[in-house]
Amino acid sequence: MNLRMVGCNFRTAPVEWREKLAFDAAGHAKAVTEVAARFGCEVLLLSTCNRVEFLVAGSVPGGSPPFDAGLAAEFLAEVHGVPAASVAPLLYEHTQAAAVRHLFRVVASLDSLIVGEGQIAGQVKQAFEASQGLGVSGPLLNALLPFALRTAKRVRTETGITRGHVSVSSVAVDYVRQVFDTFADKTVLIIGAGKMGRLTLKHLQELKPRRILVTNRSPARAVEVAALCGGVAVPWDELDDALVKADIVVSTTGAGEPIVTAKRYVAKVAPRRTGTQVILDIAVPRDFDPAIHDGDRVCLFNIDDLTRVREQTLAGRRKQVAPAEAIVEHEVKKFTEDWTRRRHGPVIGKLTAEVDKLRAEVTAQLLPRLNGKLTDEDRKTIEGAFRLFQNKLLHGPIAALQEAGREGQSGTLLESLKKLFRLE
Amino acid sequence: MSSPLENVSHACFGLSYLVAFACEAARLRWPSRPLRLTGLGWGTAGLLAHSAFLLVQHPTPASPEGSLLGVAWVLAVFSLYGSVHHARQAWAVFVLPVVLGLVGLSFAETPVAGEPAFAAPPWLPGERGWGSLHGLLLLLAAVGVSVGFLASVMYLVQAGRLKAKRSPLGGLAMLSLERLEAMNRRAVNVAFPLLSVGLFLGVVLLRHGEDLAENLFTVKVLGTLGLWAVFGVLLYLRYAANVSGRRLALGTIVAFALFLLVLASTHPFAVGAGGRPL
Repeated sequence: MNLRMVGCNFRTAPVEWREKLAFDAAGHAKAVTEVAARFGCEVLLLSTCNRVEFLVAGSVPGGSPPFDAGLAAEFLAEVHGVPAASVAPLLYEHTQAAAVRHLFRVVASLDSLIVGEGQIAGQVKQAFEASQGLGVSGPLLNALLPFALRTAKRVRTETGITRGHVSVSSVAVDYVRQVFDTFADKTVLIIGAGKMGRLTLKHLQELKPRRILVTNRSPARAVEVAALCGGVAVPWDELDDALVKADIVVSTTGAGEPIVTAKRYVAKVAPRRTGTQVILDIAVPRDFDPAIHDGDRVCLFNIDDLTRVREQTLAGRRKQVAPAEAIVEHEVKKFTEDWTRRRHGPVIGKLTAEVDKLRAEVTAQLLPRLNGKLTDEDRKTIEGAFRLFQNKLLHGPIAALQEAGREGQSGTLLESLKKLFRLE
Repeated sequence: MSSPLENVSHACFGLSYLVAFACEAARLRWPSRPLRLTGLGWGTAGLLAHSAFLLVQHPTPASPEGSLLGVAWVLAVFSLYGSVHHARQAWAVFVLPVVLGLVGLSFAETPVAGEPAFAAPPWLPGERGWGSLHGLLLLLAAVGVSVGFLASVMYLVQAGRLKAKRSPLGGLAMLSLERLEAMNRRAVNVAFPLLSVGLFLGVVLLRHGEDLAENLFTVKVLGTLGLWAVFGVLLYLRYAANVSGRRLALGTIVAFALFLLVLASTHPFAVGAGGRPL
C-alpha cells in the first residue's frame, strides 16, 4: 500500500484557521488537480467545517506518497495566502494502515465533533465523486473509498450510533412528531425572536405547516421575523387569540417572568381550543408555566427537557463508540489483507511458478540419470521430497510478505523478492 | 380418513401467536431484522392455523366461541397488516395480547366433549339471510370496537410518555397522538352505525323466539344495548362536548370491556350446550 492522509481537524486547528484553510467548490477542484499533477498521485480532498484533509495514494507499492505534512503545509499556505510556518503545526499525517484506519473512523463519524453525526459519510462520498470526476482517483482510492463507505454503513446499522438528534431544535421537532402526523393543516406561532427560536422554526418549516404567526413585544421585530419566514405578524395584545389558533408554539422571549401563567391559559386559551397543542418553550427564564403541561391536550417542553433528551442521545451514542471502533478495526484489517492479496497475488503466483519450473528442470535432469535403478514408488518419493523442499523454502518469504502486508509495509520486501528471484 | 386440518386446535394458533408476541416484545429490547422476520413468520403461521380451524371446525358466530374466534381472526389480520406496514412501530405488541386474550376466552367457552354444540334454532334457516346480515354487521362493529380499543390503549401509553417527557426516540416506537386519535375516531364512527343496524335487526329477529321477554333480557342483548348506549355517549362527548382525547380513550376502553362481556355471553338464538340464555 502506498497511502498517506494529511490535514487538520477541529482538534488540531481552531475554527478561525479551519475557515482560512477550507476550500469552496471551485477551489476544491483546483487544489485536487494541482496536487495530483505536482506529485503524481491519486488525490481525495475532504473539506468540511470541521476538517481539511488530503488522502493521497502513490503508484509505488509500499512507498509513501511524497505529499507529506511539510509539503501539504506549503501547498495550503500557497493556496490560501497564509504563512506555511503557521499551518505546519496544525497538520497531522497518517500513512498506510493508519491512514486507512483514520479514514474509516472519519467516515463512520467516530472522529467527528459530535460522534454519530450523519453528514460526514455524504461529504466523503461527494469528495470521492469529485476526485473520480476529475480523473485523479486510481486503483487504491477506487478500492478504498467504497470500502470505507460500506464500513460507515455497517457501523450505522449495527451500532445505532447515529440514532436520535443532538441539536435542541431537532429534538423539539422529534417531540412535535410524537404528537402530530400531518402538518399541512397546522398553525405555528412564534413568540419572540430568539436565535434558538429561529433555528427551531427553520426545522419546523421543513414540515411545511399551513401558516406561521409571529408575535413580539416590538411590532417592528414581529414584522421583520414574519417577513423572514413567510409568516404573518400578530399584535402582542392578541397573544391569547393567536394561542387559540396555534397547534405548535415556539416561545423565545427575553421576558423576566412567565408570559403565560397556568391561570391565564386555563381561563383564556384552553376552553376555546380543540385538539392537542405543543408548546416549545425555549426561553430562559421560561415563558410558559410548566403546570400547563398534561401530555394530552397540552404538551409543553422547555429548554431543560430538550437538553436532557439531547444529553441522553449523546450518552447513548457514547456507549456505541466501542462496538463501532471494533467494527472499524475489523474492516481495516479486512481491507489491508484484501489489498495485500490483490497486490501480492500475482507476485506470489509468479514466484511459485518460477520455483515450480526450476524443480521440474532439476528432477528432469536427475531422474533419467537414475533410470533403471528406481521403482515407480522411488520416483514418487523423490518428486515428493523436492516438492516439500520447495514449499518449505517458499513458506518463509510468502509468510513474511503477508505479515508485512497486514501492516501495510510490504513494498520494500516485495521489490526485494522480485529482484532476488528475478521475477520482473 | 380425517384431514390433518381437523387436528388444528386452539393451542396451535394460540401458541403461534404467543411466540410471535414474544419475538415482538424481544424486538423492543433488541431490535433486529431476524427477530422481526421470526415474529412475522409465527404470526403468519398462527393466522393460517386460525383460518384452517375456522374453516374446518366452523364454530357458529352465535356461540361465544365462534364470535370470539371470529373477532380474534380479524384482529390477527390487523396485527399482521400493521406489522408489515408499520415495521418501525410497536404494533403487534399491542394487538397480539388482545388476540391472545380472545383466543384464551374462546378456549374457555369451547363446549366440553359429549356436550351438544351450539346450533341455530329450527326457525332460523328461513331467516338465514337476515340472521347472517345481523351477524356480519355485529362482527364488523366488533372489529371497530377492538380497533378503537387498541388505538385508545396506544393513545394512553403515548400520552403517558409525553406527560413524563420521555425521550421521543427511546423505548416503544409509536404512532403520533393525532394518528391514534383519528384511528379511534374512525373506528367508533364506523362501528356505531354497524352496531345500530345490527342491533335493530337482532331485535326484529327476536320476535321469532319462543319467549320474546326472556330472550330480550339476556346478558347478550342487554350488553349490546349498553354498548350501543356507550358508543352514543362517546360520539356525543367527541362532537358536542369537546372532551379530551384521554377521556375518550378511557371511554372506548370501557366500551371494549362491555363488548367482551357481550361476546362471552350466550346468544339468545343459540340452543344446545349452554344454549339456555344466561
